[in-house]
Amino acid sequence: MKRRSLVPYLLILPAFAYLLFFVGYPLVQALYLAFTQNGALSLEVWRRTFSDYYFWSAFKYTILLAGIIVPTQVALAVVLALLMNRVFKGKDAALYALIIPLTISDVAAGLIWYSMLSPYGFINKLLMNLGLISQPIYVFGYEYRMREFFAIVIAELWRSTAIVFVIILAGLQMISKEYIEAAEVFGASYWTRLRRIVLPLLKPSIQSALIIRTLFAMQIFGIVWILAGRDIPVLAGEGYYQLTEIKDAGVASVYALVIAGLSILLGALYIKFLRAEYLEVGE
Amino acid sequence: MRRLFGVLLAAVVLFAVVSSGCISPGGEEKVTVTFLSTQLNPPEERAFVQEDLLKGFTSDTNIEVNFVPISYTDMVTRLEGEMQTGKVTIDVIGDLHGGMDYMSSKGWLEDLSTMPKLEGRTFISTFEQYSYIRGQKAYVPWMSATYVMVVNKEAFQYLPEGLTEEDVMKGTDKWTYDALLQWAKNLKEAKGQPELGFPAGPKGLFVRFLHGYIYPSYTGYQAKEFDSPEAVEMWDYLKELWPYVHPSSTTWDAMADPLLKGEVLIAWDHTARIKNAIETKPDQFVVVPVPRGPKGRGFIVVLAGLAIPKGAPHKDEAWKLIDYLTKPDTQVKVLEKVGFFPTVEEASGKLPEGPLKILAEGVQAQASTEDALVVMIPNLGDKGGQFKEYYKQAFERIVLNNEDPATVTKEIKPDLIKLFEDVGVPVP
Repeated sequence: MKRRSLVPYLLILPAFAYLLFFVGYPLVQALYLAFTQNGALSLEVWRRTFSDYYFWSAFKYTILLAGIIVPTQVALAVVLALLMNRVFKGKDAALYALIIPLTISDVAAGLIWYSMLSPYGFINKLLMNLGLISQPIYVFGYEYRMREFFAIVIAELWRSTAIVFVIILAGLQMISKEYIEAAEVFGASYWTRLRRIVLPLLKPSIQSALIIRTLFAMQIFGIVWILAGRDIPVLAGEGYYQLTEIKDAGVASVYALVIAGLSILLGALYIKFLRAEYLEVGE
Repeated sequence: MRRLFGVLLAAVVLFAVVSSGCISPGGEEKVTVTFLSTQLNPPEERAFVQEDLLKGFTSDTNIEVNFVPISYTDMVTRLEGEMQTGKVTIDVIGDLHGGMDYMSSKGWLEDLSTMPKLEGRTFISTFEQYSYIRGQKAYVPWMSATYVMVVNKEAFQYLPEGLTEEDVMKGTDKWTYDALLQWAKNLKEAKGQPELGFPAGPKGLFVRFLHGYIYPSYTGYQAKEFDSPEAVEMWDYLKELWPYVHPSSTTWDAMADPLLKGEVLIAWDHTARIKNAIETKPDQFVVVPVPRGPKGRGFIVVLAGLAIPKGAPHKDEAWKLIDYLTKPDTQVKVLEKVGFFPTVEEASGKLPEGPLKILAEGVQAQASTEDALVVMIPNLGDKGGQFKEYYKQAFERIVLNNEDPATVTKEIKPDLIKLFEDVGVPVP
């Protein structure tokens, strides 16, 4: 009897050890670096971070990027998933095309868009050859930060909408046809069915997609680094910069902790306010 | 089957024994020299050192070299530990001038003036002077690097009045920052877009231009006169220049690509980072000295040296390695492979015609201008990043965000000076 009760613990032991080593240890290390100065407890590192010239703009841009990218992405993914959830000719090919960006890393995606949008890149050349413009349109550089910002939004939408799409399509396919058929019998229109049945039943999928995407958006880095460098500072980028260029491990840790804190806060908010509603509630 | 397995096993064991050095085929004992270097650390350069450069030394002298690429901080920590315990394992140190200065001030380095003369080479006199620290021969000059301007020959058509191609190529009095501004203006008017470029991206070295080129050219110092009226004048100049600088500059980390793509016609960068452009199109580009400012022609010389720590276990073999690394032939090889310039005069005679010669001539021309104001990168250890950050911040606030130069420099200066005080280095 006693041996049997140990089994569950033994089973989670490897995962626990993994988490302890790869998440717990660095976390403790980061806390140590962030809250000590020369071995003594101190808030000096936090003061240094908050007074850093780039901190608040990095904070602002990270939230702004997430605020624009994530909702757009979810809306786009829902529309695409609804379109793809019917039978039509060439559906498989369309599905592949939609999912391909999923296989591309953020840095690679950044490089692809950089070479397309650069002054001598594909898009400028196309426009020039068509005679629509005579001088290349600049997208990159400090004075074009707004354009850089939108280049990041487009590249990120292109790259990471696919993951949201896959989650939502899977959720859509799990909705039982019976509900929809029943609604049709009662004469519900497409919009009513969508609003009253499909979307509420999709809520768990949308929730997972939102959480995943928001957390990743807090860590947005590679694509920004490639397209805008430090013209548009973001939290993860500044953390990296502090560690590798300025060599201030303490401030870098604070950046990491701020990202972690934001992620936990947003995750908790989603879970609280987007609690899934189920049509059939068990006893 | 089993027999085959047995034979294989025996072969593996034999191979392991021989290759591990337990039984050496020659019978004589091989000495292994431990060589710590803060230079040539990137993977490609490391591979060149281990698989090419040092193989030549080992086959010449039968001395093995254990090449340890290491960061400056780690190296100092290790050396300090070894000095304190008296168990020195390091034979040769390769590091920048600033690091040598620090280690020498701690009394960790052997005085090399007692070592036998290195035959068949003349060290460039400035480098030779620098290698004597506080009256002691602290190191042997090993490699050097600098930052220069590259000009696409096409740009010479648009030179401002009164400035000739020769002025620029030789770095005469007329080749000033004001002349550069006028030239950049002409280029923008003629071409319809800015044609001057700087590597001002997050990993670019533009910050070296700020503290090591334009600051000394206007104020005579890198940091000491950070907020002086001359500095304000310099920032005003940069503000005026910036509309003629390619707007993508803030995303560029190296200038070879923009030069090759024809996005800019004039660029400033580290020699190693423009080497590729010149090698690809040697007919199109020339390397020229940087312009001069009111206080002279400020430019950075990066100088790396080789030293022997006190109590090194294989002092004679270490000297042989230093001898090998500073031979003109070896130096040319280093220049060809990694783009660091020789420290001995004889090496330049051995350069083949072509792209490297274009680079070397440009570097030579810059170094021999009469108003040269040679600047060394201050040795602030791991505070070096913070040092650069202050200049970048000043640049972003003044030039890009149009803040008042006098206010910004006054605000930053105390922090900048404190950095030097914390580390205990004189303010340059």
